[in-house]
Amino acid sequence: MDSVHHVPNIMYAFGFSAIALFIYNLQRFFVVKIGKEETRPRVTYFSAIRNALIYGVVQMRVNRMRFSYATVMHLLLGWGMFELIFATAVDMFTKWGLFTSFLPQMDEPWFAVLNDLGGAMVFVGLLMALYRRHVMKPELLPQDNFTGRGYLFADTGLLLFILLLDVGGFIAEASRLAIEQPLTASFSWIGYPLSMITDAETWALLQPYIWWGHALTSFSLIAVLPLTKMFHAVAVVVNVALTDTDIRGKLRTMYVSKLMEDPDADFDEISLGSSTVKEFTWKQLLDSISCTECSRCTSVCPAYTSGKPLSPMEIITDVRNTLLENKSNTILPGDVISETALWSCTTCGACMEECPVLIDHIPTFTDLRRYLVLSEGKPPTQANESLEKTMNTGNPYGFSQADRTKWAKDAGIELPIIAAKKEADVLFWVGCAGAYDPRNQQVAKAMVKIFESAGVDYAVLGEEEMCTGDSARRMGEEYLFETMALQNIETLNQYTFNTIVTTCPHCFHTLGNEYTDFDGNYSVKHHSQFIQELISSGKLKVNEVETGTVTYHDPCYLGRHNQEYDAPRNVIQAITKPGALKEMKESKDQSFCCGAGGGNMWYDIEEGDRINHLRFDHAMETGATTVATACYFCTTMMDDAMKVRGKEDDIQVRDIAELVATNIE
Amino acid sequence: MKIGVLVKQVPVSDSSLRVNPDQLWVEEGSLNFEMNENDSYALEEALQIKEQSGEGEVVAISMGPADRTPKIIREALSKGADRGIHIVESSSHESDPYILATLFNEAVKDEGFDLVLSGLQSDDMSTGQTGLILGELLGMSTATMVVETEIQGENLKVKRELESGWFQWVTLSLPACVTIQSGINQPRYASLKGIMSAKRKEIRELQKDELMTGDSLQSLSKMYVQHKDKRTEMIEGDTQEIVSRLVDVFKSEAKVL
Repeated sequence: MDSVHHVPNIMYAFGFSAIALFIYNLQRFFVVKIGKEETRPRVTYFSAIRNALIYGVVQMRVNRMRFSYATVMHLLLGWGMFELIFATAVDMFTKWGLFTSFLPQMDEPWFAVLNDLGGAMVFVGLLMALYRRHVMKPELLPQDNFTGRGYLFADTGLLLFILLLDVGGFIAEASRLAIEQPLTASFSWIGYPLSMITDAETWALLQPYIWWGHALTSFSLIAVLPLTKMFHAVAVVVNVALTDTDIRGKLRTMYVSKLMEDPDADFDEISLGSSTVKEFTWKQLLDSISCTECSRCTSVCPAYTSGKPLSPMEIITDVRNTLLENKSNTILPGDVISETALWSCTTCGACMEECPVLIDHIPTFTDLRRYLVLSEGKPPTQANESLEKTMNTGNPYGFSQADRTKWAKDAGIELPIIAAKKEADVLFWVGCAGAYDPRNQQVAKAMVKIFESAGVDYAVLGEEEMCTGDSARRMGEEYLFETMALQNIETLNQYTFNTIVTTCPHCFHTLGNEYTDFDGNYSVKHHSQFIQELISSGKLKVNEVETGTVTYHDPCYLGRHNQEYDAPRNVIQAITKPGALKEMKESKDQSFCCGAGGGNMWYDIEEGDRINHLRFDHAMETGATTVATACYFCTTMMDDAMKVRGKEDDIQVRDIAELVATNIE
Repeated sequence: MKIGVLVKQVPVSDSSLRVNPDQLWVEEGSLNFEMNENDSYALEEALQIKEQSGEGEVVAISMGPADRTPKIIREALSKGADRGIHIVESSSHESDPYILATLFNEAVKDEGFDLVLSGLQSDDMSTGQTGLILGELLGMSTATMVVETEIQGENLKVKRELESGWFQWVTLSLPACVTIQSGINQPRYASLKGIMSAKRKEIRELQKDELMTGDSLQSLSKMYVQHKDKRTEMIEGDTQEIVSRLVDVFKSEAKVL
């Protein structure tokens, strides 16, 4: 915003030194080199540029409704800053006489208005940030404002420094306008009024000081930026560019069974899962150094909210701090990160949904769990039983495989078995809970009624169906998961069918998205999707009966993990009166876990409240008379909470299949 | 400290059992098997005693058919046992605890164990005698239903669970053979590293038929599923007779009076 046309050489020296220091300090990135090779495919250039623009420049993920103050604050700061950098670049190029035919003139009216707007945005953003730090004081934000994080300027120091830069810019602009008096000066809607606080002569006297002051503060910030928390401005852009958003959250497959067949594998030396920073991939480490400590992940975490000792942000920053402190041999789980914190995670994905910089929390947590289970043999104590039962009997309940279809026999249902039938249009994946858990057997029966009513050509695996290995995998028991997966794939590949329909989002996710790594490629539909199709195609005729008001609880593995929010809602709307669907405040991508995911179905974390009780309270707040779910685990958790809260007379918990089955014409 | 642990493979609890046509054992075809629960506590106790003493060896010993039994011996090895002994049972299923104990005795008498542990009973036959008889055959001091152990030099101090919430502390001289009650510890989970290292550990196979030294002291005549009958009795007569018969039924059959 300056137009002294004779830039002294010393200024170039300062400028280039600042840039050189900036580049030198960027070597902070290289700490990630200690990490393992990335097993995920490399992102394409197109995807890298697209994501850098969408998530880095436009800051798409910063924009979240439930963090509206921080959103406005950050967009003002971020976009304002981009504008100022652009203006500075234009100014510089203009002086060098480069690209002048493409670039606007500094005194063009619209550009003058825009440049002051940029400065004003940063100014307001800074005030909002200072207000937030010192008056609002969100509990989860780091509170060591003057001392912590990064060299030279701590959080508040940095804000004040940028404020100095911003105000300095306006003053420099004002002095230029006062001295040069361009015709369009009045379009600089802040700089021009500011220029009138004193006369042109005084401005001329002060100008060298103002100009040098502004230049040196700018250069200082540029030089040390990578050492301050402003490093995120660079790191985040690199991180989001190198993130494959299509497979974000996908666990890295270990191929344990191949490893076990390898005669050269030395299991005394081999590292299973991740225990030290060296055992993460470089991308996981890049995630950690990109964390801005905005604490959004922790504030939406159901485990944290319910008082359990888990802060997703802290785990990521613990990894980062260990990395930056060069403690490459420090064992993280147990020593740095508490095991209880790791086991408190329900892998619901709320943290990842909110993370503005696309950090991949769940795969990192799972790698730490893998170390505990595969290397140390330490799953949560209570979970030993379900894991060993899955290994011994093929299901976490420990019931006999021979009794897989007992639920149907007891109800007088003759289930078509695919081994006898050889082929069917639909393979109904009943799931262990549907087969053995009395509450969820009702859901399986409802599904059968739906198949029969719609004339679907379906069959089940019966005794051949085994646990998909979902819970085992989330708990880090990759060996058990692979054992189950390989067995199920071998079974499935014997038969001919078009679609697998599951009543459980966990089976849905595992069969559809994870078996592909083992050449198990199937078309898998969740029952909400399948029922929706049956209704819309007219194959299933349902009544619009009075079922009262319904609130729908989004299962994490259907919603956030698989982006299916509409199908279950459409099904509910088909069987209820208009307006009967009452949304909870935390719904769709902001849904709050029932507490059973990530293996938590099989063990309890003693600390804090029960997550399902909190979620049930959300449902009660809607005043609905039915809580609809679309997941066995969620049904169990909501049902339990209903009983504990003593609300059996006020509200009922139903899977959408049960609701549909009672409303078939 | 050299410790032997008897581990038995039993059908998983809650299995639907069907009796074989010979009425001497159950149909195994559709059953899943697991380590007898009490034995898993005995194994864990053995591993903990070894770990506390910092040296020694834990040997897992089992008997059963060649097709399924190695699985639980491997499981024990995965959890940390050092080697295994498998008495291969190719003929009919042995259920006489005396014979079982003599077979185990033949298999381990030259091992020189300081301590032999087993679950206090098996979930399938529940005789609760095998471990105890083995201790006698080996000439060791014995104790049953142990809920706590402590090695004290040449002795083993154990806490035994008695009836009605009573406990008893007993000090045994080593070598000793004790049977372990469930709940004494928290059995560990086999890590993948453990599973892999188990593959390199030795399992010595012995043939049951070659170890047989004596005849059974008892024989199993018939195994059957308990038959539950619903019986309806019409009580007739005058009020006095009906009342006295009802009182009789309540007292002697329903046992509610």
